[in-house]
Amino acid sequence: MGHLTAQPWVQWDWLGRHWVDVLQATLQHLELTGVAVGVGLSLSLPLGVLAHRHPPLRGLVLGIAGALYTVPSLALFALLIPFTGLSIVTAEVGLVSYTLLILIRNIVVGLDGVPAEVLDAARGMGYRPRARLIRVELPLAIPAIISGLRVATVTTVGLVTITALLGLGGLGQLILQGLVEDFRTPLLVGTLGSVALAVLADLGLAEILHSLAPWSRA
Amino acid sequence: MSVFGATLHWFSDPTHWSGPDGVPVRVEEHALMSLAATATAVALALPLGLLIGHWGKGALLTVNVSNLGRAIPSFAILVIALQLVGIGAKPAFLALVALAIPPILTNAVTGISQVSPELTDAGRGLGMSEIRILTRVEIPNATPLIMAGVRNAGVQVVATATLAALVAWGGLGRYIVDGLYQRDDAQVFAGAVLVAIMAGAAEFALAALQWMVTPRGLRPKNSITLLRMGRGQSTISAQEGIGN
Amino acid sequence: MNFNRRWLWSPMAVVLGIALAACGSSPPKAGKGNITVAGFAFPESSIMAYVYGEALGGAGYTVSYKLNLGTRAVVEPALESRQIDLYPGYTASDLEYQDKNAGLAGGDAATNNAKLNTFLTPKGLEALTPSSALDTNAFAVKKAIAKQYNLKTLSDLARVSNKLVFGAPPDCPTNALCAPGLSRVYGIEFKSTQLLDLDGPATYAALDSGTVQVGEVFSSDATISSHGLVVLTDNKHLEAADDLVPIGRTSVLRGVATTVLNNVSSKLTTSALIAMNAKVAINHADPSQVASAWLKSHDIKT
Repeated sequence: MGHLTAQPWVQWDWLGRHWVDVLQATLQHLELTGVAVGVGLSLSLPLGVLAHRHPPLRGLVLGIAGALYTVPSLALFALLIPFTGLSIVTAEVGLVSYTLLILIRNIVVGLDGVPAEVLDAARGMGYRPRARLIRVELPLAIPAIISGLRVATVTTVGLVTITALLGLGGLGQLILQGLVEDFRTPLLVGTLGSVALAVLADLGLAEILHSLAPWSRA
Repeated sequence: MSVFGATLHWFSDPTHWSGPDGVPVRVEEHALMSLAATATAVALALPLGLLIGHWGKGALLTVNVSNLGRAIPSFAILVIALQLVGIGAKPAFLALVALAIPPILTNAVTGISQVSPELTDAGRGLGMSEIRILTRVEIPNATPLIMAGVRNAGVQVVATATLAALVAWGGLGRYIVDGLYQRDDAQVFAGAVLVAIMAGAAEFALAALQWMVTPRGLRPKNSITLLRMGRGQSTISAQEGIGN
Repeated sequence: MNFNRRWLWSPMAVVLGIALAACGSSPPKAGKGNITVAGFAFPESSIMAYVYGEALGGAGYTVSYKLNLGTRAVVEPALESRQIDLYPGYTASDLEYQDKNAGLAGGDAATNNAKLNTFLTPKGLEALTPSSALDTNAFAVKKAIAKQYNLKTLSDLARVSNKLVFGAPPDCPTNALCAPGLSRVYGIEFKSTQLLDLDGPATYAALDSGTVQVGEVFSSDATISSHGLVVLTDNKHLEAADDLVPIGRTSVLRGVATTVLNNVSSKLTTSALIAMNAKVAINHADPSQVASAWLKSHDIKT
């Protein structure tokens, strides 16, 4: 084993003293995740529609989003610090960047998957392009979009922990404390809390999908 | 001097290309670790996933547990590994293997399960043993999805290996972490560029591997489709959420 | 799986509800305003951040914390750009950071502090009155290594340093009181250097496993000898008077804050600091609890 101090994995009295801190960290974690996914979705929807309608642009849009995705999160945050400092803006710019690839890709796949007959029928019924998009295409693309949202959300919950290096981090603060102080309890609490958040968010989105699109496989 | 100029300056400095902290050493460290971790994850997860996918029992449970594993933040896995085995290459290796297993396992199980029952029935009708059905029918048909899992895992390992510098390992993440803590933006940028190149190279190499491993009849008609193929398949695997 | 998952809504609602309640459970104090206190990535810094922060909280400020931020290179710019308002600094180290390793720091904390302020004032920053609590960089080896090479002082180390691997904090290469100083004052050049952490578990693990033979630790760390290490004497006085001093934005520290923090500094001693560090490192006590216990024992309101 390592040369770190022997200790039990959980000191329950620590948890008893710190449950408010843990809940506040959870709230910060939820905030950071929610903003990132929300902003990511609002950017990805128009970009996804654009890439869907103009296939030549697809490579460009997905290429840029993909390039952002390959930059390691730590590097992206570190490079933003001189411009936006140790702030929530730095965290969110980084976090949003990582949602773009999966969301745009899924939106494109979802829109591509709308059967041609349905589009024809809509055209035949007199729907104009924008109404067709909002009333027909996007609703049918919902399963793919929510599938992308699920992956993006779980990924973001994990990446939020790294923003602890910026003084934020949500439950990542506890993980960082565990690292710096060689202390297992906050490490474990932070880890399990993040996993629980990711699981709940994923299940919650699956439930939303079920209500919005009861016909879908999930 | 802008960050770009400073980074070019960094790359053109010969002292950055020699010694234990030089680019060749760090690139080699990073590449070897990524390769070892991905290969180990494949060795552990692939046989398991293929068997479970074939027998069917516990497939859903496996996929759900695997996706649960995906929900553990990489940062947390690294620090936990540090607590378990100490500093350096050991926790990095442990954490990266743990990280690479879920995508490979999930895609192997799902890929095999999704092979059309008509094909496996035909195989049984021809008198094939279960092993032959697995190897001659199911695996070839599941190759795209299986390889998509391996590709995802490989690229993710290369990217996450950068975090291992936080637990006193080396690799290209050293440039990023040291640059962060010394406020040396050129170093951070240089590290990020090198990792991005390595991730791209890993994606390319694994796509080539996928091409070689996919049976001729199932191969796409051109290489651009092959590159897109991997990405498209991972959209399907994304639907195997925790709640399914 | 097709069962109805409405059972999920209740626990999620409960979690959200508790979170929102926790948010509201610490109402902002009608008072002196907000202060964000930061700390470096080692426990003593967290303890000191809480010592300053809780004292300020007791004086009516609303305090928030950004802890474990890393090294001075990350924290000081955040102070300059007003993302944080205060951090527990060290007179010599901060001076050398400001004077870009020109070597202005000496053996007297008050002098160091005065010089430090000549750099800080134009930036709208200020170092208040330093305490007598001292924490300098220290260089340690395992007892067996000290015996093997007959090492008692850093001058002894200079004889054999090119055979040894050094484990240091991430900012060591650019820190006058670390690698550049060791080279300049003692002529110490190591075989190689590994950048680890700030006197943390990685440094101790590396020393213990023999991955590095010499490590940088902090003099106020209470666990050095219990790790089987011995500190080499700084016979040529490379390490200057590195006393703890609150460094912050002048506009925020004006008035009551300065009085409170100077009071805290006047009561803080090196042995108290070591004792607080020991409680956190050995007993895994909370930095915040250790801080408030110390404050209370000195009749400072939290």
